[in-house]
Amino acid sequence: MNRKLTLATGCALAAGMMMACTAGAAEEGLLRTAVLYDMTTMDVTKTTDNYMVPMNVFDRLFETRMEDGTAQVVGSLCTDYAVSDDGLIYNFTLRDGVVFSNGSPLTATDVQYSFERLLKAGGDNMDIAEEIAGAAEVESGKSDTLSGFAMMDDLHFSITLQKPNAGFLAELSAPAMSIVDAETMEKVKNFGTECADTIGSGPYLVTEWVANDHYTLEYNPKYWGEEPTVKKVIVQVIPDAGTQNLMFQNGELDLVDLKDQDSTIVESVYKTMYADQIVSTPKVGLDFLSFNENQEYLKDVRVREAIHMAVDVDTLISSIYNGDAVREAGIIPAGVWAHNSELEPVSYDPDGAKALLKEAGYQDGEVSFELSMDNGTTDSNKKLVYQAISEQLKAVGINATLKGYDHAVWLDRRNSGSMDSFIASWGMDYNDPANIMYTFFGSEKNTAQRSLNYQDKDIIDRVAAAPAITDDDTREKEYQDLEKKIIGEDFAWLPLYENLHLYCIGDRVEHFTPQWAGFSDFYVTDVVLKQE
Amino acid sequence: MVRGVLERLLQSILVLLGAALMIFVMLRIIPGNPIAVMMGEHVDTAVIRRMTAELGLDQPILIQFFRYLRGAVCGDFGTSYSLGRPVSQLLAAAFLNTLKLALMASVFAWFLGITSGIIAAVRKNSILDRLFMGGSLLGVSMPVFMTAMILQYFLAFRLKLFPISGSDSFAAFILPAIALGWNSAGSVARLVRSTLLEILEEDYIDTARAKGRGQMGVLLVHAMRNAMLPVVTMMAIQVSGLLSGAVITETIFSINGIGRLAVQAIGSRDIPLLQGTVLLSATVVIIGNFLADSLYSVLDPRIRKEA
Repeated sequence: MNRKLTLATGCALAAGMMMACTAGAAEEGLLRTAVLYDMTTMDVTKTTDNYMVPMNVFDRLFETRMEDGTAQVVGSLCTDYAVSDDGLIYNFTLRDGVVFSNGSPLTATDVQYSFERLLKAGGDNMDIAEEIAGAAEVESGKSDTLSGFAMMDDLHFSITLQKPNAGFLAELSAPAMSIVDAETMEKVKNFGTECADTIGSGPYLVTEWVANDHYTLEYNPKYWGEEPTVKKVIVQVIPDAGTQNLMFQNGELDLVDLKDQDSTIVESVYKTMYADQIVSTPKVGLDFLSFNENQEYLKDVRVREAIHMAVDVDTLISSIYNGDAVREAGIIPAGVWAHNSELEPVSYDPDGAKALLKEAGYQDGEVSFELSMDNGTTDSNKKLVYQAISEQLKAVGINATLKGYDHAVWLDRRNSGSMDSFIASWGMDYNDPANIMYTFFGSEKNTAQRSLNYQDKDIIDRVAAAPAITDDDTREKEYQDLEKKIIGEDFAWLPLYENLHLYCIGDRVEHFTPQWAGFSDFYVTDVVLKQE
Repeated sequence: MVRGVLERLLQSILVLLGAALMIFVMLRIIPGNPIAVMMGEHVDTAVIRRMTAELGLDQPILIQFFRYLRGAVCGDFGTSYSLGRPVSQLLAAAFLNTLKLALMASVFAWFLGITSGIIAAVRKNSILDRLFMGGSLLGVSMPVFMTAMILQYFLAFRLKLFPISGSDSFAAFILPAIALGWNSAGSVARLVRSTLLEILEEDYIDTARAKGRGQMGVLLVHAMRNAMLPVVTMMAIQVSGLLSGAVITETIFSINGIGRLAVQAIGSRDIPLLQGTVLLSATVVIIGNFLADSLYSVLDPRIRKEA
C-alpha cells in the first residue's frame, strides 16, 4: 500500500512538474522577450531610459525610421507641415481620424497639453518643449499655457520657437514627445503606474504590469495604422543574463538582447549555434573617455593628447567586444547626419605618448588621476574596458587609478563637476547632432554637469548657436568644424566606439529591425512573426 | 510564562524601533542624492530643490522620522520613489514570494539536515555516514549562486524537469528552495550528528535502553529532544541567512521577492522602499528568534520553569 502511495505521489509530482514546464508554449501572435530590469514608469516625463511603453503605446508627430539604410524623420500623427522663412514658426496638420485607445479623438489640444505637461513636470525630458516660446512662463508656473502654441482647429496648429532650430522636427520624434490624452490626464492621479490610465493612440495597449515580474502589451484595435503580426508582447523581467540565455535556448523567449550577455557567451553560443538568427545594426551613439579640464594634470592639453595616443582602442574592440563595435573618432556618431566619416582617430603610439609627456615636463608616473567607474553598470564589458585603459595608461607612465562607486554616488560626483575621468555612453534620442553636441558642449552648465569643464567659451557659444543655422550644408560644416576643434585640437574627450544593437531572434520570428536610436527599446511593429 | 512572552514582545518592538531609526539615519548620511537618481541625469538643480521640498526631505530628520513612524504604524510606508507605487503594495507582493521560498527552503534544509544527521550519527563511520557528511561539507562550502546555477542548468535546462525561472507555479519554487536550503542542510546535518553522538554517550540514554526502550524510541524521544536545542538556535540564526541568500536565488530564478526589491532600492536610493524592506526583514528575523525562544521552552522544561 505504502509503495503504491509513494509511486502515485511521485507520478503526480512529476506530472505536475512536466505540466509546469510545458505550460509556457507560445500562443499565436505572441512575442516573448526579456529585460534585466523592470521599467520604473510608463510616463515619459519621469524617465530617459524606459521607452518601451511610450514607443509602442503612444504616438508622436514624427518618428525616426530607417529607410534605405539611413535614418529618416517621417510623419506619424503629422501629415503635413510648413516652416516659416525665419525658421521660427512651424505649421502642422494632424492625421484625421486618429483616436486614443479609449475612443477619444486625438486633437491639437492633446498635443498642446502633452508639451505643456513636460514643462510643468520639470523632469529630464523637458528640453525640447523648452524651445517653444512661452516655455519659461509655464515652467515657472506664471502661465498655464504655452504662448508659442496656437491652435487653428482640431487638426491644425502652429508652434513658435524662441529661436530657430533646424533640428526641431527630428526632436519631435523623440519618445519624450509622446502625445497623451488630455482628458484622461486631467482625471488620473498617478500617471505612469496604472495600465488603465495609460491611454495612447499607438499600436499597442499596456494591459498588465506586475512590478519586477513582467508587463504585457496587446494590440490596440483602434490603432490607425497597419495591423502588426505581433498581437501580444510579454516582456519578462529576468535579472540574470545567464537565465535569459537558457530561456532563449529552451524556446521560452523569442527575442533576446545580446548586449546583456557576456561576450564569451555571445561568441561561444550565439555566433556558433544561432549565427543566422543574429540581428545587428549600429546602436547610434558612442562611448568615450572623459577628461575633466579642472583636474591638475588633465587640464594640460598635452596630457589629454598623450592619453589619446596611449589607449589602443582597436584592441579594446577586438579583444573585449569581439569586434561587435565600431571605432569612433569624434563626437557625432555614425548614423547621425553631419557625422564626419573622414575624421581620423589618433593612432595608437605609446612611445609617442611617453615622448609627449616627457616634452611637457612630466616625470614617469607623475601624471595621475582617478578613473571613476559606475558600479551600477550592467555592462560587464565596460568594466573590462576600464581595467584595460587603466593598464594601457600605466604602460606609458600615467597613473589612472580605477575606483568604483555606487550609482547614486557616482551620479552625484559627476553632476558636481568634480569627477576626474570616466567612461560615459551616449545613445542618440533623435537624428540631429545637437542632441549630443549641445548636451556636452552647449553651455558651461552642461559641460560642468558632465564633469568635462570644457574651457573654450567661444566654442561653447558656437555649439549653442549652431541649431539656429537653417541651411543644412552650413550647419553640417559648422558642426564638423566644431568637432575638429573640440576633439582634434583640444582632445576634450577620447572617442572610443559605437556599440551595435545585437539581438538574437528565435524560431518563431520571421524578421526584426532594431530601431535607429541609441537605446535598446524597439517598435514591436518592427517584429514580424512567422505564420503558424 | 505570560510575563516572559510580554518581555520578549517589548524587546522585539524596541529592536524594531532601533532598526527603523538606524536605517532611517543611515540612508540620510550616505552620499548619493535620491532625487537626482529618481529624476535622471539631466535634472536641473531647481527641480531637485522643488522635489526635495515636495517629498519633505528638507524637514528636520526627527520630524521626518516621526512622520514615517506614524505612517508605518498605520501600514503606510510611503510611496516608492523609483516605482511610484505604495511601498506596502510592493512589499506584500514580494514578501509572499520570499516567504514561500524561505519556507520551502527551510523545510528542505531541516528535513534533509536532521534526517541525514541522525542517520550519520546512528551509523557512525559507516559508508552512509561518510556519504552524508561529505555531502554536508559540499553543502556548507558551496556558494548559493553556484548551487543555483548547477541545479538550473542540469535539472531545468538539460533534463527539463523544472521551470528555468519564474514564480507562477509550485514547481518553479522547488529548485530555488533546494539551492537556498542546501547550505543550511549541510550545517544542520553536521550539528545534529555531533550533538547526537555526544548525547548517545549520556547515562540517561543507557537508562532508557535498560528500561527496554527500543532504538527508535531512545533516539526520537530521549536523544533528539535534547539534540534539538542547539539545532533550534541554529535555525533561528539561519532565518537571516535565508533572507540574504534569497537575494541571489531570487535573481537567478527571476523571483520577484524582498531580496531583489532591496537591491533595487539601494541602487536607486529609494528611501521609502529600502526602509520598508529593512523593516520587514528585521521583523522576520525577530519573529524567527521569538519562535526559537518559544520552542526552547517546549523542548526544555527547565527553561519553561525559569520563565
